Amino acid sequence: MNTKRFFFWLCFIIVIGLIVWGLIVAMNKGSGGTNLAAPAPVSVADHVLGSSTAPVTLIEYSDFQCPACETYYQLVKRLYDESSSTMRLVYRQFPLDNLLGNGQVQHPNADAAAWASEAAGVQGKFWQMHDELFANHTDWTELADPLSVFQGYATKIGLDLGRFKTDMSSSTLHDFVSAEKDEGIHLGINQTPTFFINGKVITNPQGYEQFKALIDAAATSSTQ
Amino acid sequence: MNNLKRLLTRRLQAVPNKVIILVLIIAIIGFADASYLSVEHFQNVIPPCSLTGGCEKVLTSSFSTLLGIPVSLLGAIYYLLIAIGLFSFLESKNHEVLRVTLLLTILGLLASLWFVFLQVFILHSYCVYCMGSVATSTLLFICAVVIFERYEKSLEL
Repeated sequence: MNTKRFFFWLCFIIVIGLIVWGLIVAMNKGSGGTNLAAPAPVSVADHVLGSSTAPVTLIEYSDFQCPACETYYQLVKRLYDESSSTMRLVYRQFPLDNLLGNGQVQHPNADAAAWASEAAGVQGKFWQMHDELFANHTDWTELADPLSVFQGYATKIGLDLGRFKTDMSSSTLHDFVSAEKDEGIHLGINQTPTFFINGKVITNPQGYEQFKALIDAAATSSTQ
Repeated sequence: MNNLKRLLTRRLQAVPNKVIILVLIIAIIGFADASYLSVEHFQNVIPPCSLTGGCEKVLTSSFSTLLGIPVSLLGAIYYLLIAIGLFSFLESKNHEVLRVTLLLTILGLLASLWFVFLQVFILHSYCVYCMGSVATSTLLFICAVVIFERYEKSLEL
């Protein structure tokens, strides 16, 4: 191979190598909003797990039908179980019920799932319904009408079914979910899940260890 | 068959470099797009659900892998082969390599038709990166047809 041909091929390999290297570097930096406004302070209207004196507050804006939220549910659950002394967890509704370009609703069962969790919350069992919805994600996400499945969860966690059904269709409860989502949109949220640690948005961690490190760092800095 | 090969090869002998460079750029764009999804797959990135929607459903569906291999990686290999073929032609002027490379674009077109079908009729969701790949592979096929047709005409003159 003469020098010219060698140079030609070297250029080609460098271009391809630079593309792959650039992608890997860009993706290691992660994605996700970094310029979001701070969320509203935790209030009595919020669904909270953990002590109000915990040094770390993790607020999650989430959609029950979102596959990524289901994946993060496992991470957050483990995180809370192992760090309950240092963190409190707040769940806020962000159902992706928007219309897509093809005329279909992005997550058609997201609103109903959010209402089911809030209706359970009226009876003091938000987190139990939250766990049922995520743990059995594949059982209801593709259904045309998931209401009977949600009623099954309500029975399973010991809710008053009649009241649950009434609350599920309550406009007050629907308005609460919409208002929570609107607040998220106002903050600049455009994806779920979106996490805030002590009021600051984080890039979604890729795996448990990364997430735990962020919580531990926040706990250390807030106790100093 | 051999006569047809020789005929096609002869017709490709006047391929201008500008056209090949254009096709090469399209192939490299397709490679970058498919590589992005492959890197995402191998880094176990959890695609979030975006307000503009669709990608997470497509990328986490059972159709996103084939025998355990992410289809995005197969796409990246396809575009890389096309790019190598085109670059090899630019460098060596081996018309047989160009002919085989251009014929390969049929594979990309067929795969694209399958992915559009899946997104429209099965998943009811669209992923911008997948549609980007559909665009590049369709463009590659159109370029290949135009190149073949152009030399068909040049022979008639």
